[in-house]
Amino acid sequence: MAADSPEALKKQLKLYAAIGGCLFIGTILTVAVAVVPALDFGDRGFSQGDLVIGLLIASVKASLVMYIFMHLNHEKKLIYLIYGMSGFFAICLYFLTKLSFIDPIKYVGFFTGGE
Amino acid sequence: MNEKILDEIPYIVNPRKDTGLFNSKIGIWLFLASEVMLFGGLFSGYIFLRVYADYPWPERVLPILPGLVNTFILIASSVTVVFAWAMLKLGKWNMFRLFMGITIACAAIFMGFKVVEYKAKFEHQGVRLADYTILEGHLHAADVDSHGHIVHDSHGHDAHGEGHDAHKGHDDHGNKEATTVHTSVNNIIFDAKKLTFDLTKVDEKYLETILEQAATHDAKVTFSKDVFSQSEPGVKPVKIISAGDELSYEKLIAAKEAFVAARTHNAAERTAELRRLWKESKAENEGVAGWKQAQDIAIDTDKLALVPAKSSISATVEPHISFVFAPQKVKSYNASSLTRKDGTMVVGSLQKSPMELGIDAVDFTFLVQQAEEMGIDPDDAVEKAWILSHSPAVKAAWEEHKKHVAAIDEAYFQEALKKTDGDEEKAREIANHVPEVEKYRMTWKDLVRYGSHGEINLQWYDGFKGANHKNEEWAAHFPDISIPREQIAFESKFTPRWNNYYAIYFTITGLHGLHIIGGAIVLGYYMFCPNMFRKNPTWLANRVEVAGLFWHFVDLVWIFLFPILYLM
Repeated sequence: MAADSPEALKKQLKLYAAIGGCLFIGTILTVAVAVVPALDFGDRGFSQGDLVIGLLIASVKASLVMYIFMHLNHEKKLIYLIYGMSGFFAICLYFLTKLSFIDPIKYVGFFTGGE
Repeated sequence: MNEKILDEIPYIVNPRKDTGLFNSKIGIWLFLASEVMLFGGLFSGYIFLRVYADYPWPERVLPILPGLVNTFILIASSVTVVFAWAMLKLGKWNMFRLFMGITIACAAIFMGFKVVEYKAKFEHQGVRLADYTILEGHLHAADVDSHGHIVHDSHGHDAHGEGHDAHKGHDDHGNKEATTVHTSVNNIIFDAKKLTFDLTKVDEKYLETILEQAATHDAKVTFSKDVFSQSEPGVKPVKIISAGDELSYEKLIAAKEAFVAARTHNAAERTAELRRLWKESKAENEGVAGWKQAQDIAIDTDKLALVPAKSSISATVEPHISFVFAPQKVKSYNASSLTRKDGTMVVGSLQKSPMELGIDAVDFTFLVQQAEEMGIDPDDAVEKAWILSHSPAVKAAWEEHKKHVAAIDEAYFQEALKKTDGDEEKAREIANHVPEVEKYRMTWKDLVRYGSHGEINLQWYDGFKGANHKNEEWAAHFPDISIPREQIAFESKFTPRWNNYYAIYFTITGLHGLHIIGGAIVLGYYMFCPNMFRKNPTWLANRVEVAGLFWHFVDLVWIFLFPILYLM
C-alpha cells in the first residue's frame, strides 16, 4: 500500500498531483525539443541527439509513473521479481531481430539436404 | 453472497503471509509482465522495420496536436484513477465516483481524438509516381462521364467507390447522351470488349458492379460459349449455359459448381492412380528409401478417365462500353487488359483515367534514394521529375525551396567559418546542413509559404493539426494536378497499405486503443458497486488498485508511443 493511515494517504495525494504536473512538463519538454528550432539537439532536423533526449525524457516520465503511481517505490520482492523478469525478456526481444541476419533461409533441395 | 465468495476465494482481501500480497495483485503483475512482452515485441518490430527500411522512413509526418492532447488526457486520467483509489481508502464513495467518472471521460475523449486522427488518415491520399516522386494530398470530386471525361469539376473533396450516383447527362464533346458518375476523380476507366471470370473466386458484389454499369449503359453482357456439366466420364454432358445467355450470378455459380464437381472427380482419379503406382513401386523396390522412389513416380494423365474442368468462363460486352473501376478493387492493369481482385480479367483498352489531386506535400526522397543506388546525380534526377515539368505551381515552389535550402546551408557555413578562423575546408566538414529529408521534401507548410510568396509566414506552432484543406487561405496554395494513370505506380490512402510506417502505427495504436476501451469498462464497472463498498470496502479498494495498475501501464505505453510515432 502507498500509505496505511488516512493522514499519510492525504499527503500522498499531494505527491500524486505533483507527479502529474511533472508528467505534463515532461510532455511539453518532449514536444519543445522536437519542434522548436532553438531547442533542436545535435544536427538540424531529427538526429541521434533528438532520439536520445526524446527517449530520456520518456524514460524519466515512465519511471515516475512506475515508482509513484504504480507504487514500485515500496513493493514486495515478488513484484520486483515478476517485473524484472518481464523487463529482461522484453529486452531480449530487441535482439531477436538480429537473428534474421544469422539465420538466412536457403533452399538446399527438398529431401536431399543439398546437391 | 459476497461473504460466501470471500470464503471460497482466498487472499483477495488480506495478504498472504508468505508473499505479503493479495492474490489479485500478483495476478495483475503477471498479466502486466505478459503485456510488457507484447508491446516490447511490437516496439522491437517497429525498430526492425525502421532501421532496415529500404525506402526513406517517414519522419515527423503525423500532426502533433492529437497525440499531444491525448498524452495530456492520459496523464490526467492516471492522476484521477489514483485519486479515485485513495478516496475509496478514505471511505469517500461520492468522491471516488467523481474521480472515476473523470477517468472514464478522459478515456472517451482519448478515443474520440483517435477516431478523428484515423479518419484523417483514411481520407489522405498518397501517390507514388513512376519516377518515385511521392505526392500527398486530397482527391477532388467531379462528374465523370462514361468516356472518362470530367463533365463538371466541383473541386470538392469526396472519396467514393466505383459507379456512384450514375445519371444521364450530356457529353461535353458532342450531343450524344452519356452517363456520368459523381465520384472522386481516381477511377480506372476501361473500355471492355471481353470479360473472363475466375470460377474459383466468384464474388457477387464484384459482379454486381459490372451488371449495374452494363444496365446503366444499355449494354448486354452475354456468355461467349456453351458451358457443359459433366461430373463423370461416360455420362452425357448437360448444357448449363448457352452461348448468348445473359450474364448472371446464378449462372456463374452453376458453372462454378460444374467445375468443382469435375475437378473433384479428376482429383479422385489422380489420387487413385498415384496410390496404385506407389503400391507397385514399393513392391518392386523393397528397401529403397521412399523419397528416392517418389522421384520416379509420375502419373500419365492421358490414361486417366478425366472430365473437362475449366476454371474460367468468358463473356462479351455489346456494345462496347466503358466500365468505371475503383483502383482498390483492381489488382493490375495495362493498356489492353485489367484484372480485378476477384480474378475477373477485362480485355479492351484503358481510357483516360486521371487522378485529380490537391497536393499538400511533394517528396523526392525516394526518387533521390533510387537515383543514388543507380549512380545518377540525385539533383539532376529531381530536376527531371515528371511533376516539375507538368505543374508550374510545384515547379515554382521547388525553385523557392532550393533557394531556401541554399540560404540555410550558407548561413551554417558562415557560422562554421567563424569557428575555423576562415578555413573553408574545415568549415565544410563541421558545418551543420539541411538533412535530405528536409532538402528533398516540400511539406504543406513549405507550399503555403512559397505559394504566398512569404505573405503567410507559418511558425513552428502553426498547423499542429496538419495540412488543413478546409483553411481556404492555406488550401489556396496547395497545387492541383491531374495525374495520368500511366504515371501512377502505386497509390493508397494513408492506411497500412501505404507503407510499413502506417502498418505499425495502426497496429500499435489500435492495440493500445483496445486496452483503453477494456480498462475503461472495468474501471467504470466499479462505479456501480455501492453494495461492495458498503459490505467490504477493502476488497473493492484492492480491485480498483489492480485495475488502476493496468490503467497506469496503458499510460506508460503511450508515454513511449507518443515521441516515437509523432516526434521521431
